[in-house]
Amino acid sequence: MKIKSYYIFMAFFLMCSVAIAQKMEINGSVVSDDGMPIVGASVILKGTATGAQTDFDGNFSLTAERNSTLVVSYLGYKTQEVTVTGAIIKVTLPEDASVLDEVVVTAYGTSAKSDFTGSATQIDSESIGKRSLTNVITALDGASAGVKVSTANGQPGSSPSIRVRGIGSINASSSPLIVVDGVEYVGSFSSINPNDIESLTVLKDAASTSLYGSRAANGVILITTKKGKKGSRTYSLEASTGIVTRGVSEYDRVNAEQYYPLMWEAMRNGLSMSGTTPEAQANIDATNGIFANLGTNPFNVPNDQIVLNDGTLNPAASLLYPDDLDWQAPLLRTGIRKNINFSFSGASENTDYYVSLGHLNEEGYVRKSDFERVTARVNINSQLEPWLKTGLNMAGATSTSNNANDGSSTGLANPFRVGRYIAPIYPVYLHDTSSGAYILDDSGDRIYDSGTNRIGSTSGRHVVQENLLNTDKDKNFSFNGRAYAELKFLNDFTFTFNAALDKRFINNESYDNPLVGDGATEGRAGRTGIVNTTVNYNQLLKYDKTFGRHSVGALLGHESFMTERNYSRGSKSGLIVDGNSELINFTTGLVTNSYTRKLAIEGYFSSMTYDFDKKYYLSASFRRDGSSRFSNDVRWGNFYSLGGAWRIDQEEFMNNVTWINTLKLRGSYGEVGNDNLGGYYVSQPLFSLGYNNMGEGGILASSAGNQELTWENNIQSDVALEFGFLNNRISGTLEYYHRKSNNLLFDVPLPVSAGLDDFPDNIGSMSNKGIEVDVNFGIVRTRDFNWKLNINASTLKNEITELPQEELINGSKKLVVGGDIYSYWMRNWAGVDPADGAALYVVDPALQETGETDVRTKADGTMVTTNHNKALYGFAGSAIPDLFGAINSEFSYKNFDIGFTFTYQLGGETYDSNYASLMSSGASYGSTLHADIVNRWQKPGDITNVPRLDVNQSSAFNASSDRWLVKSDYIALRQMSFGYNFKELADAIGLTRARLYVNGENLFQVNAIKGLETGENFNGTNSNRFTPSRVVTLGVNVTF
Amino acid sequence: MKIYNKLVVLVLLMAGVSFNSCQSDFLDELPTEDIASGSVTGTTDNMFLVVNGMHRSLYVRYGSQGRSGESALMLQMENLGEDYVNTANANGWFIPTYKWNVHTSATSGDDLFPYRTYYRIIRNANTLILGADDAVGPIADKNAALGQALIYRGWAYFQMVQRYGKRYVPGSDNSQMGVPLRLDTGDEPIARASVEAVYAQIHKDLDEAIVALEGYVRPNKSHLDKSIAQGLKARIALVQGNYPMAAQFAEDARVGYTLMNADDYFNKFSDYSSSEWMWGSHIQEDQTDYFGNFGAYISRNYSSSNIRPNPKAISSKLYDLISPTDVRKSLFDPTGQHLNLPPGVSLLSTHSLKPYTSQKFIAEGNGDSRMDVPYMRVSEMYLIEAEAKANLGDPSAANVLAEMAVVRDPDYATTNTSGQALIDEILIQRRVELWGEGFRFYDLKRLNQPLDRNGANHTPSLAVVFDVPAGDSRWQWLIPQDALNANPLLEQNPL
Repeated sequence: MKIKSYYIFMAFFLMCSVAIAQKMEINGSVVSDDGMPIVGASVILKGTATGAQTDFDGNFSLTAERNSTLVVSYLGYKTQEVTVTGAIIKVTLPEDASVLDEVVVTAYGTSAKSDFTGSATQIDSESIGKRSLTNVITALDGASAGVKVSTANGQPGSSPSIRVRGIGSINASSSPLIVVDGVEYVGSFSSINPNDIESLTVLKDAASTSLYGSRAANGVILITTKKGKKGSRTYSLEASTGIVTRGVSEYDRVNAEQYYPLMWEAMRNGLSMSGTTPEAQANIDATNGIFANLGTNPFNVPNDQIVLNDGTLNPAASLLYPDDLDWQAPLLRTGIRKNINFSFSGASENTDYYVSLGHLNEEGYVRKSDFERVTARVNINSQLEPWLKTGLNMAGATSTSNNANDGSSTGLANPFRVGRYIAPIYPVYLHDTSSGAYILDDSGDRIYDSGTNRIGSTSGRHVVQENLLNTDKDKNFSFNGRAYAELKFLNDFTFTFNAALDKRFINNESYDNPLVGDGATEGRAGRTGIVNTTVNYNQLLKYDKTFGRHSVGALLGHESFMTERNYSRGSKSGLIVDGNSELINFTTGLVTNSYTRKLAIEGYFSSMTYDFDKKYYLSASFRRDGSSRFSNDVRWGNFYSLGGAWRIDQEEFMNNVTWINTLKLRGSYGEVGNDNLGGYYVSQPLFSLGYNNMGEGGILASSAGNQELTWENNIQSDVALEFGFLNNRISGTLEYYHRKSNNLLFDVPLPVSAGLDDFPDNIGSMSNKGIEVDVNFGIVRTRDFNWKLNINASTLKNEITELPQEELINGSKKLVVGGDIYSYWMRNWAGVDPADGAALYVVDPALQETGETDVRTKADGTMVTTNHNKALYGFAGSAIPDLFGAINSEFSYKNFDIGFTFTYQLGGETYDSNYASLMSSGASYGSTLHADIVNRWQKPGDITNVPRLDVNQSSAFNASSDRWLVKSDYIALRQMSFGYNFKELADAIGLTRARLYVNGENLFQVNAIKGLETGENFNGTNSNRFTPSRVVTLGVNVTF
Repeated sequence: MKIYNKLVVLVLLMAGVSFNSCQSDFLDELPTEDIASGSVTGTTDNMFLVVNGMHRSLYVRYGSQGRSGESALMLQMENLGEDYVNTANANGWFIPTYKWNVHTSATSGDDLFPYRTYYRIIRNANTLILGADDAVGPIADKNAALGQALIYRGWAYFQMVQRYGKRYVPGSDNSQMGVPLRLDTGDEPIARASVEAVYAQIHKDLDEAIVALEGYVRPNKSHLDKSIAQGLKARIALVQGNYPMAAQFAEDARVGYTLMNADDYFNKFSDYSSSEWMWGSHIQEDQTDYFGNFGAYISRNYSSSNIRPNPKAISSKLYDLISPTDVRKSLFDPTGQHLNLPPGVSLLSTHSLKPYTSQKFIAEGNGDSRMDVPYMRVSEMYLIEAEAKANLGDPSAANVLAEMAVVRDPDYATTNTSGQALIDEILIQRRVELWGEGFRFYDLKRLNQPLDRNGANHTPSLAVVFDVPAGDSRWQWLIPQDALNANPLLEQNPL
C-alpha cells in the first residue's frame, strides 16, 4: 500500500516537470581544460533561479533568450560567465588552483577546506548514496584515519560504536559528540534516513572541536542534512531490495557421533584420573553411565551401548533424526530488505526547499528481528528580506522493530548462546524414540521437545519456541526540528538565532509466553514508555571583513542545552486470554515505575580567524561551559584552542615547482572537556528510592557524590601536512596527534568496607597519540576510465600516566601507570603435562609452598601448577591495535562503476571467550565442544596444548588465561558496490540520471578463528551477541 | 530606519526567548529517583525510610541472579555443608559454591557478594546510628529506628566475622584477624580488627539495641524488635561458647512465640505471620526478584531452570536419622515422587524427580517463586537453650529439647538425658530443624567439625569435595580481591 502511494506521488511530479518544459532549448556542454566532460556542473541563467545541471556527458539543456548570460560553476573549477550566442554552447572551465577548496562543515559554520586550520574528514552524499545503509553512522567505518568503528550488531538499524583518536577516558564516555544540523543530537541514528544526509564530518582536533567545549573531548561528528540547490529542480527516486544473511559464520563444532565418545572420555577420565576408579572399571562405568549424564540417546542402539568400552562409538549406531539436531537453523532465515526513497528539491530566487519521504523494511537474518521505518523531511530556507534569512528543517521518523533476544550474553533465551553451545544430540522437535519419526500434533505440526531429557540449562527450556512465542518490540517516533533566523546588518555583521527541538517517543512491548521460559507458567508482559526531549537554543554573532590582503572573522555565541528523559514502566503476570499482551489481559501487577532525568548545559563562546593573503592563517577559540552534572561552585570550565596554517603552495617561491599543487602545513593546540561520567547527578550524595519494604517506603545509600567533581579535560595537539602532487594525482594528509586526558572522571573504587563501591573524582591521566596517513591516488583519469584509490592508516599508542591507586584490575584487564587501558592481565598458561594431560599454569612464586602436590616442574625447569588459584598473573598483550585503517577504491569505465572499502587492523589481541567455552575440557554435560577438541591429550606422552577431557576439572583446566588470546589482525570487505549508469536511455527518456546498482555490506572478514568476530568491542572481549548481518541489495536510482 | 526597527524587535525577541536559560537555576537539577543524603537523618520519619530500606535490602538482587539478598547468602551456607544436596548441575547457580570453589577464590564474585552486601547494610545502619541524635521527631520513633539500625550492624558483622575470620575459639584471646570495623560513613581504608574486637562491638550494638527497643511494637515480622536482638545475642554467645549467656538470651527471646503445629509445619511452613517465626521477609508481588528469590532455588514447585532439573535434596544420611513419625520426615521424599503435597500444590511434568528431595519450602506457584524467607524461628531458640544447657550440664537441657521435639514428633521420647549423647542428639535435631535455612556452614565451623559428604546421595562430579578436615584453612573465606585492591591495609587469609 505504502509503496503504491509513493508511485502515485512520483507520477504526479513527473507530470509537473513535463508541463514546465515548454520553451525553446539551448544545448550545451561543459568540459575541463583537458577536454573531460564535467558532470554535475551548475548552469544558471544570470539574475534568475532558472538553471540546469550537466549530465554524465557534461551536457545540459535549458531555455534562455539570446544574449542572456549563463553562470557556469563547479567545485574545484573557476566559475565562468558566457553569453548565449547560439543554440549550442561549449563552456570550458579552467581548474581552480586550489582544488582543496571544498566546503567543510565546522562548528557553528562552514569553512573552505584550504582556509581551515583544524583536522576534519568529510563524507559526502555521493558516497553515502551508493550504499544501502539503514544506519548512516555505518558510513564512518573506514572513511577517516584515526576513526575506529565497531561493527553494529545484526539487529536491523543498530548503531556501531565510534572512537576518534583512541580512548579518551577510563570511566567517563569515550564516544564522540554527535551534532545534527548544528545541534547536539540525543536521539537514535536509526531515525535518520541516510538518503537525507548531505554530509558527515568528523572533527578530530581541538581547533575544529573546541567551540563545542565541554562535550568535544572525544571528537565531534557533524551530520548535515540536504537542502535545495539553486538552479535545478530535482526529483529523485530510489528503490532497492536486498537480502540479509548472517555475516559471521559459526564456530566449527563437533557432531553427535563425535560428541558422545568425547563425553564418554570426559566421564571416564573424571572417574579414573580425577577419581580413584581403576581405568578398566571406569571404562565400564562410563559406557553404562554416559546416557544418564546426557539424558538423550539420539542413536538406534540401547542406552548402555552407545559408546563401547574402548571409547569408540558403537559401529551399529546411527542417528534417528540427523536432520533435527541443529538449533540455529530453525531460527535463521534470509531476511528481505526493501527500501524506497523519494525526494524533490530546488530553489526559487529567494527560497530553497528539500522534501523527502522514505520507507524501509528490513528483516534480520534471525526470525523475530526486523525494522520498519517511515521517514519524512522538509527543509525550507527563505531570504525574506535582503537582511533577513530564515529556515525550518523538520524531520519525522516512525519505526517498529522486533528485537532478537541477545540482551544477555548468558541468557537462556538468547538464541545465539543456546544455538552455539547446546549439545548436538538434542532434537528440536519430539520424535518417536524407536523410529526417529517426528511426532505430530492433531493438526499435523511438529511438536517442540520440552526438553526434560536434556541436561544442563536447556532442560525445560526451548530457545526456538521461546523466541517465536515471546515478543520484544519497539515502536518509536522521532521528531527533529531546527529553525533559525539570520540577520545581516552594518554590512559585515550577521546575527543568527537557532532553535532546535528533538523529541523521541519510545514504546516497548515485552511479552513472555506462559508455556516455556521466563514467563512460564503464568505469562507476563511489560510496557515501557520513554519520552526524550531535547531543547537547544543558540545565538551567534558573526563578523567578517576583508581589508586588502587581510581577512578577519569573529564569532560571539551563547548556547543553552537541556535534555530530559521521562521513563515509565509497568509489568504484570497472569495471562488471561491467549494472544493479547496488553496489561489489562493480566491478573497481577509486578512493577509500576516512572522517573524523570534532566541535564542542562550552558555555554558562552567566541572565536577569531585571521588570514593574510590566503597564505598565513591563525585561529583561536574560547568557550566557557557550565554543566548541571557538577555543583554550583565548580560547574564552569574554560576551554580553548589555537590553530595556524601556512599554505606553502601560495608562496611565490613555489611558482616554479609545478609538480606541487597543494602544500599546507597546519597545527593546533587546545583544551576540550568531558562531563559524561554516566549519570546526570553523579556529584550529589544520594539515597535511592525504590527500596520499599512491602507497603512502607524505603531508601538505601546509593552514591557518595563529590561536591568537588568537575570537568575532565583533554589537551590536544595536532600537526599536519596536506599535500597534492602531479596535478593532484597524489594528494593527502600526514598528521600527528597527541591527546592527553587529565583530571579523568573516575569512579574511584572505595574500600568495600565503606559500603559503597566507588566515588566519583577527578584523578588520573592518560594519553593517546598516533600518526595518521591518508593518501588519495588518481591512478587513471581518462574520459572513459577512472580509477581512484584511497589508503588510510593510523597508529595508536595509549598510555596511562596517572591512576588513583597503584593498579586497577577490571575483568581481564589491569590498569597501571605506563600500561594501556586495554592491557590484558591474565594467568600465564604453561601448556599441558604430557604425563596426564593436566592444564598447567606458571605458578605464582608467592603461593608456592614446598611439597605441594599441585606444583610441578616442567622439562625446561619452569615451575608450574595444576591449581589455577596458584597461577601467576601477568600482562599478556593488549586489545589496542598497532595499526588500523582502510583501503577505499572507485573505478569507473564508461557506464560502469565499482567501489569498495576494506578495513583492516594489525596488532592487538582478542580474548575469545566463546572459543574458550567451546574448548571447555571440563566439558559440562549437555554443552557442545569445538572441533579443535580432537587435539586433546588422550594418553601419556601426547604432546598437545589441549588438556584432557575431564568432567571434574572444569575450573582448573578451563580457567581464564592467556591461552585464549588470539591475534586481532583482520581484513574485512566492509562494502562493495557495482553500478551501471543508463546514460543513453536516461537522455532518451529525459532523465538526468538513471543508475542500477548492486551493493554489498559486511561481505567478509578474514581473521584468526572461524566464528570469531574481531572488533566486536574496543576492549577486545566478545560475547554471544547477534553477529552482524551481510546485506546485498539491488537498487535503482533515478533523478529527473 | 524602518528596517532597523524591525531588526531591533527581532533581536530582542530572540534574545528574550533564548536567554531564559540564564536564569540562575537553569543548571541546578535534582534527581527524581533519589533523596539527598543530607536529609535522611533530618527527621525520624526519614530515618524509618532507611530502616525499611535495610529490611528490603535482605531481598534485593546484588548484581547477578545468584546474589539476591540474605536468602542467597543462606543458600551459600547450605551449599557448603553436607546436609544439602544438589541433584544436578542445571543452570549452574550455587554449584561452584557446592564444590567449595567460590570462597576459596578471592576473585570470585560470589566471594565478594557477602562482604559487599553486609558492608552496604552497615553503611546505612551507620548513617542512622550517627545521625539519630539530630533527627527531629518523637523520641520513641528515634529509638525504634536507632535500635533496628544497631541490630542490623551487629548482625551484619556477626555474619561476616563468621565467614572471613578464623574460627572463634572459646577461652582464647581470639586475636586472629576478623574484619574491618567500620562504625561511620567514612571512606578511608582501615585494617582488620581482631575477631574478639568484632564480637565485642557486636555485643555492644545488640545491648544498646535491647535498651532502645524496649516497648517497641513492630507492625510485622520484617521489622526487628527486642526479641531479635536477644535471639542474636543467644546465637552469638553459642558461637563464643558462652553457654550461660546463650541459654539466658534464648529463653528471653522466645517469650511470646509458640511453635507451629505439625499441620502448619507441613502445609504452610513459609509463612512469616506464623507464631513460630521471629524474623522474616515477606515479598510482595511487585517486589519479587523472579529467578533470584529464595523460592527460585529451594522450593519444590517453582518452575525455574534451576529447580526443574535440580530439585534440592536432603542428605540421605541425615534423612535416615529422622524418626518416621516426625512431621519433618514427611517433608522429604526418598522416592522423589512427592505424591503427598500440601493442598493446591502440584509439580509440572518438566520437574525432574530425584530421590530425597525436599518439599519443606513451597513457592506461591509454579510460575511465582515468592515465599516468605525465615531468618529466625523460635525453634532455634529452644535448640540454642538446650545445647547451651547441655554443655553446662544443666539437668533441664533434655526437657527444653523435648518441649520442641514433641511438637514435631508426637512419639518423641528422649533417650539421652545428659552428656555428649544429649549434645549429639540436639545437634541432629538442629540439622533436621534448620535444613535449608542457612546455618550448616556456620555450625560446622563453630563446632570445629569436618565436612563429610561420604556415604550419602551426593553426586561425585557435582559435589567434588567430600572431605574437609576441621581447622582447614578453607573454613575461612578469602578476603575478596576487590577489597584488597582498594585497601592497602587489608591482609589476606591463608590461601
